[in-house]
Order: sequence, then C-alpha cells, then structure tokens
Amino acid sequence: MLSAAADQDLRTTTALTRAIGFLAFWLILSGFKLGDLPAGILAAACASWASLRFLPPGQSKRHPMLIAQLMLRFLQQSVVAGFDVALRALDPRLPLAPGIAICRCTSPMGPLRSGFCTMASLQPGLLPAGFDADGNLVVHCLDVGQPVARLLADEEKRYLRALGLEQHHA
Amino acid sequence: MPEFLFGAALFILGTIAVGLVRILYSRQAADCMMAAQLIGTGGVAILLLLAVATDTPPIVDVALMLALLAAFASVAFVGGLQGKASAQAEDHRK
Amino acid sequence: MSSTMDAFTVLAISCGAFFFVAGTIGLLRFPDVPTRLHALTKADNLGLGLVALGLLPQVAGPLAALKLIIVWLFALISGAIVTQLIVRAVR
Repeated sequence: MLSAAADQDLRTTTALTRAIGFLAFWLILSGFKLGDLPAGILAAACASWASLRFLPPGQSKRHPMLIAQLMLRFLQQSVVAGFDVALRALDPRLPLAPGIAICRCTSPMGPLRSGFCTMASLQPGLLPAGFDADGNLVVHCLDVGQPVARLLADEEKRYLRALGLEQHHA
Repeated sequence: MPEFLFGAALFILGTIAVGLVRILYSRQAADCMMAAQLIGTGGVAILLLLAVATDTPPIVDVALMLALLAAFASVAFVGGLQGKASAQAEDHRK
Repeated sequence: MSSTMDAFTVLAISCGAFFFVAGTIGLLRFPDVPTRLHALTKADNLGLGLVALGLLPQVAGPLAALKLIIVWLFALISGAIVTQLIVRAVR
C-alpha cells in the first residue's frame, strides 16, 4: 500500500505525462499553429482530467518493449482477422460454425479487463460478448472448432506480462 | 492519380449502399446499429480518399468527426436499448 | 520514384476496396446478427487500414501522414469497442 503523499505524487506525475501526451496529440491533429495553443492546452487539461477519472494511475511496472510488441501483434492479428472473415464470406460453401464459447478471464476487473476484451475482439473469428454470472468471458466465435480458450489464455498472458501484472495471477 | 482516388471512393460508396439496402430490409434494431458502423468505417474511407483527391486536408477533420459520431451514435443506441429492456422488466414485475 | 509510389497507392487502395466488398458480401450472406458484425468490423477495418496506407505517399508531409494513421487507429479502436457493445445488447 502506498502512503498518501506518494499516491499524490504518482497522480501528479501521471497527470502531467498524460497532459503532455494529449497536447502532442492535439497539435498533430490541428497542424501545429501557435495561435491555437491556448485551445490545445485547455483541451489537453480536460482530456487528462477525464482520463484520470476513467483510468486511475496504476502501480504496476509496464514494459514499453512488450507493449510495443503487443501493439504490433494487435495490428497483425487485425489483418489476419480481416483475411479470415473475407475468405469465409467469399467461400461458396460459407464455412461458418457460429457459436458461443465460455472462457476464463484472469485480468483484473475494470479498464484493464475492458482493454483485454478490445484486443480480443480483433482476434480472427472471436468477438467478446460480455460476461456470465460467474465472471467468465462469453465469446461469440465464427467457428466453434477453434481452440478458443487456449488462444485467449495465450493472448491474456501476453497482455498481462506487458502490463507487468502476471506475477499476481501466476 | 485523383481520377483513381475518385473512382475508388465511388466504388466504396457503392459497396456501402448495397450493405445499407440489406440492412434497410431487416426489422432488427441491431441491424440499425450496424448501419451506423458501416457508414462510419466506409464513410471515413471515402472522406480520406476525397481529401487527398481534391487536395483539401480539412476533409480529414470531417472524417475524424464522422468516426467519432458513429461511435457515439452506437453507444447511445445500445444505452437506449438497454434502458428500454430494463424498463420492460420493471413493467413485468408490477 | 513517384511512379513506384503511385503503383503502391493503387495496389493498397485496390486491396482496401476488395475488403470493403468482402465485408458487404459477408453482411449479405452471414446468417445472424453476431456473425454479420464479425464481417462488418473485421473486413471493413482492414479495408480502411489499406486505404489509409495507400494514401500515405500522396499526402503533403509526415504530419498529414501521421494524421491519416491516427484517423485509422481511432476508427479501429472505436469500432472494436462498439462492436462488443452491440453484440452484448443482442446476445
């Protein structure tokens, strides 16, 4: 447990880092005009406030390299998923075996779990559809023959490792 | 090059139109939300193509707005649907 | 140099258009709402990605290119989230 002062420090650092990130993002969108800067600073401040509300600063140690790898994998998977669904749609036999799979989900509840679901929704043939009463992930699949549980467990392991959370769920 | 980009935009517009006609003949609420998604993604692609074809960068901002609106429209629709469902459940209990 | 870039643009945008067609065909042929959602989001997102990729060499500078990528990423992520909401609502 962190002391109140350390917690406050963490909040301030996180808020500043995020505000700088949002400002850079805003400047890219608006095309770097100095006259617009006050509006940008205001927008970045509002965005940081909202982001702190919805995604409080975490205490886990993140691994930037692993996160970058995860992003690349995310893009690569979304390409594979596009091909997968295009081939199924164009195949005259329409090879579909749609159904629901129930999978265990170990990510902590809240934004982290939502983040994992969003990643999973770009996996080929998978679409998370909420949780059942026991907190298991309900996944709609294009092909129930896929090893859905294993795919998602692997994916979740990668996700948690990148966010520095895996030791809590070993 | 602009001719090709215009052609591509027109082509994508055609595929969206076909999808929308399909959705129009459906009676399910979920299909309406899919229409918002379809126009969102396809519309953004068309606007990006037009922005570059006509050399009008502000159209990219319009594309960004469209993506934002499509997302919010769907969220509002789902919210409304769930609100309606829980109101019905309330009525049943009475 | 510019003709190689133009060829790249034509190729990428044509592939993108192909995925939009595939998405619409999926929308027409797939049997129920959740499967149609798969077709719509996964194929169309890749289509949009390829269109944006093809446009990169045609824009004025790195800033404009970065903005195209941001628009695509935004559409990708918001699409992924919205799709989950819709499928949850209809399940």
